[in-house]
Formats: sequence, structure tokens, C-alpha cells
Amino acid sequence: MPNHMPEPTIAEALNAAHHQLMADDESVICFGEDFAQNGGVFGVSNGLLEAFGPARVFDTPISETAFIGMAVGAAITGLKPIVELMFCDFAGVCFDQILNQAAKARFLSNGNLKMPLVIRTTMGAGDGSGAMHSQSLHGLLASIPGLVVVAPSSPADAAGLLKSAVMSDDPVIFMENKTLYGHTGPVEASLPPVPIGEARTLKSGNDITIVAASAMTQAALAAAETLEHKGVSASVIDPRTIKPVDWNTIQSSVQQTGRLLVIDEGAAFGGFADTVIAGMTDRVFSALKAAPKKLTPPDTPVPYAVGAEGTWMPGASDIVNVATQLMEA
Amino acid sequence: MDQKALKHYEKCWFIRSFEAAIARAAAAGKVPGLVHLSTGSEVADVLLAHHLDWRRDKVTGSHRSHGIALACGTEPLDVAKEILGKKGGLSDGLGGTQHLIATSGETSFLMSNGIVGAQVPLAAGAALSAKSRGSDGIGVAVFGDGAANQGAVFETMNLAVVLKLPMLFVMYNNGMAQSTSVAQATESDFSDRARSFGLNTWKTDSNDYPDCARTLHQGAASARRSEPGFVEVKVTRDHGHYYADGEDFDASPAIENFEKYLLTQGFNSKLLRVAKKSGVQKAAAIVAEAMEAADA
Repeated sequence: MPNHMPEPTIAEALNAAHHQLMADDESVICFGEDFAQNGGVFGVSNGLLEAFGPARVFDTPISETAFIGMAVGAAITGLKPIVELMFCDFAGVCFDQILNQAAKARFLSNGNLKMPLVIRTTMGAGDGSGAMHSQSLHGLLASIPGLVVVAPSSPADAAGLLKSAVMSDDPVIFMENKTLYGHTGPVEASLPPVPIGEARTLKSGNDITIVAASAMTQAALAAAETLEHKGVSASVIDPRTIKPVDWNTIQSSVQQTGRLLVIDEGAAFGGFADTVIAGMTDRVFSALKAAPKKLTPPDTPVPYAVGAEGTWMPGASDIVNVATQLMEA
Repeated sequence: MDQKALKHYEKCWFIRSFEAAIARAAAAGKVPGLVHLSTGSEVADVLLAHHLDWRRDKVTGSHRSHGIALACGTEPLDVAKEILGKKGGLSDGLGGTQHLIATSGETSFLMSNGIVGAQVPLAAGAALSAKSRGSDGIGVAVFGDGAANQGAVFETMNLAVVLKLPMLFVMYNNGMAQSTSVAQATESDFSDRARSFGLNTWKTDSNDYPDCARTLHQGAASARRSEPGFVEVKVTRDHGHYYADGEDFDASPAIENFEKYLLTQGFNSKLLRVAKKSGVQKAAAIVAEAMEAADA
């Protein structure tokens, strides 16, 4: 690693974090589909095979149940696997190993087992991948007791959360947004760990609190800028960790603004946005000046055509509209 | 005389008596849920465990794993307390009969599973860990003929072969997947399937103690060479229900055949009676002690 790192992309920061983690700890091993020789579909695993050899970096057959299960078994017997599930949509293929095995083993052992497992996977629509390669299942996965779910939106957060995930004794689902891989940002060369469970305030404001994770942070920041021109000062909070979510950071902002808008690319029904709104309503009801609102895609699968996908996805102008309604409420 | 065989004989009766005591507890309403007893697979359990080393080998089992957990060396009192939902159980009662997880003591048993076949990929993980450590250890998945039709098992067979994992697949064929017979559920031969994935395969019958011992030895040795092995072991399901009375308790073809074999090997019947009594009494005492423990 050079001391100075020019602003890397999220893919590059994740790649650098993998190199550091593997160099620092021999029990870290990495595998997945098209992971080793090909460097990963999004380039995150470039150079790992060459640097650490085929015993620690390898390709698997297209057998998600077997290799995710193998990662779970390896994590409870001394290794620290970082396993790649190419798209979170594929969780459907190996759901038992996630829902029943990874999520429950620590509880069922009364905490005696440790599971330093990281399941890296992708999420997010916007690239025409269609209904089975574009979902954002962070809310679904976070609803399962026993799983930690993170969804970083910057290179520093991606690298830092990956480090914390590998060091965690709990299984972590690490969700990378496909549309953010090329997103750049400043990082320290040492790629310092980012604590799990801590939100980051991307922009401070006094009138309205906007919570947005993963790629929705970009739309939220753009909307906040427009709102600023309209005289509305928005706070934008990236939870970074979906579960355990950082209630305190969101709560202090809502107590100040009295207005909450949650933007999420996940489920319209029973999703992360609903959870945040319910949590805040429960905690700071008396501080609310208006009923909190959410903005999610409609309750349908992700459509394929460019126009349809664009309409489906919440955008900055949608956020401005809903935020304006909330201000007038 | 092969003294370890006598120990195995005693252990078989220990497991059978343990399960009988659990069955009585269940019939008396002292077990939180349903229990799946290992009765009938004692000889296979004991012989498999005999070829494993708790320091380096790890076994994952099915929902029907009391016997293999005990055979592998898991503390019986902790197992009994866990099944009964008592404080001091393996997981203080959080796991229960289908989710036995051993994290301490001198045992090669890792965990059992509530999902049919799900334990098989986990054993591949244990094999991967052993291989990474260079420990010469193996991962062993124990599953039934029912699980043998799960995709998780097929996928893991292929994965183990392509990754050259030190892994042993042990399939207990008791002829019944819950209430569906093997003949109804399966058209092809289990070993043929495994062989087609590239595993070394064997078949044996737990009614034949020396053959079963030899075969499991070969299977474990193959796995230790990172040539994944598959052993089909015929076991008996001595009863389909979980309440065992005295008659059921004594009717065990595999243990009876084991006893006949021992008589041909120079053990006299008095010696065997003493061993049986010892195993039966120890297990009964342990389950009785567990029942006295505080509820979790």
C-alpha cells in the first residue's frame, strides 16, 4: 500500500481492504463464484489470488448452498471467511444456510460459538439487470435475528466496515451497491475500521431529517441541495449499518428537526424504512411536528426497461417533493 | 481379545439406555418438544467415533444425533440437560434436542441440525478449516437416507471433490425418511450417485461389526488423504415412535449381532453382561441426574 492513496472507488477501497486483511491475518480466506481467477465480477478481488495463493483465495462451483454453508462451517471452526454471494437475489438459492445456519448457530450455542463470517453481496437497481439481479434485500435480511447487516455508501466506509465485519464474532451481511462501485471518495491509506452500528451524518440541517442508506444517499444529498435553495435545511444521515441501526444519531437529529423522511430502495412493505419510522415514532413521538414519511420503490419487482426502472426508483426530485409536503404538513 | 470392542459394546448399551431414558422422560411430558431417538444406530455411532480424533476432527449431524454426539465424547450430562431443557445443558437449553452444539470438552462432535441435510455443507467448512490449518483433521457429515435427496448434499459432494476437502460423508440408511420409504423416494443407488461426483464410496452394515469398523476406517483414511469419501451404513430403525418400553429397549438386532460376534472373539457372556449392565446403569443415572436439574 502506498502511503498516499488518490481518491479510490468503492471497488478499489474494498480491494485494498481485502489485501490488508489477508496480509494481517492468515485465518482470513476468501471465495465465491468467479472470485479468484477473474478478480470478481466487479473487480473487488483483483490480485488476491496472486498475492495469497489458491489455498486462501479460490473459485467455487455455482452451488450457493454448499459454499455459503461451507463458509458458515469454516467460521465456527477457526477461519474468518469472506465469502462472496454475487447478487443478494441469490440468497434465495441458499436461504437455509443464511436464515437457519449462519443466523442461528451463535444463539443455539448460547454464545459459545463465534462466527467471524462475512457474506459480501451486491444490491441495487439502476443498471438494467432486471428483477433477479437488482433487489435490495437488506431489510429482509436484517429482520432475521442473529444477522448483522451493513450497507456502506463511500469508499472509506466500505473498507472500514469490511474490517470491522471480519473482526466481528457475529455473521455480517455486507451489502455493496452495484451502482456505487465506481463512486470515489477520500480514504486514509491505513483504511481504519468503521464501527458497526454507527451512522454518519452526511449533511447537517435544522428543518428535516432525511435517512438514506446505500445508493439512496446520493439521491438524498442531491435533493438536500435543491431543498437548501428552497430555504429548507435538511440533515442527511447514512445509517451505514442497517442492523443494529444507530437509533441515537437519528433520534438526536429528529429531536432537533421534528420531521423525518426515510428514503430506501428496499421493500415498500415491512421494510427498513418502516422500521426506522416505527422506531422514531416510538422514541420521540412528542418531538414530531408532522407524521414521518417514507419514500421507497413501489411494491413490485424491479422492472427491466430503462424508463420503467427509472420510474420505479426513487430519485432526487421525488425526495424534494415529499420533503416539501412534509415541511408544509 | 480386543478390549476396545468390549468398550464399544458397553458404549452401545450406554447410548441405548440413554435414549430409552429420554423416551421415558418424553412420554412423561418432561421433554419440551418432540425427540428423535438414535436408537438402532448405536454400533455405527460408536464405530464412526472410534475413527475420529476430538483434537482435529469435527462431526456435524442430523436432527437424530443424540447417539453420535455421545459416541464422539460429548459430556453426557450436558447432552441430557440440553435435551430436557435444563440449566447447565450444552447451550443452557437454548438449542435443544435437534440443535446440540458442543464447544468444550474432548469431543469431535460439532453440532446437529434441525434442517434435513443442512449439516452437510457445514462439515465441508470444518474440513476446509482443517485443511487450512494443516491439522490432518477431517470434517464428517452424518446424515440419513432422507437427506440424501437434498440438493445441499449433492452440491457439497461436488464441492468437496473439486476443492479436495478432507471430508467424509456418512449416510445412515435406515430405510425410512420420516414416514416415506427409501423405495418410494429414491430410484437410484446412493453410492452410485456419490461415485458419479468423484467420491470414493463404500457400503457396510452396522449388523456386521468388523466390516463396519473396517469400512469406516477406510472412509476416514480416504478423507484424511483429501479424497472425499462416502460410506453408506445400513442401520436399523428399531421403532418409529419415541416411547420405548422394556421390550423395545432390548430388541436391537445390531447390538445383538455385535454381541454374537464378541462371543466368537473369546468374550464370555458374563463379561458381556457386566459391560451391558454398566453402560445401561451409567446412562440411566446420568439422565436421572439431568432430570433433577433446574429448568432453563
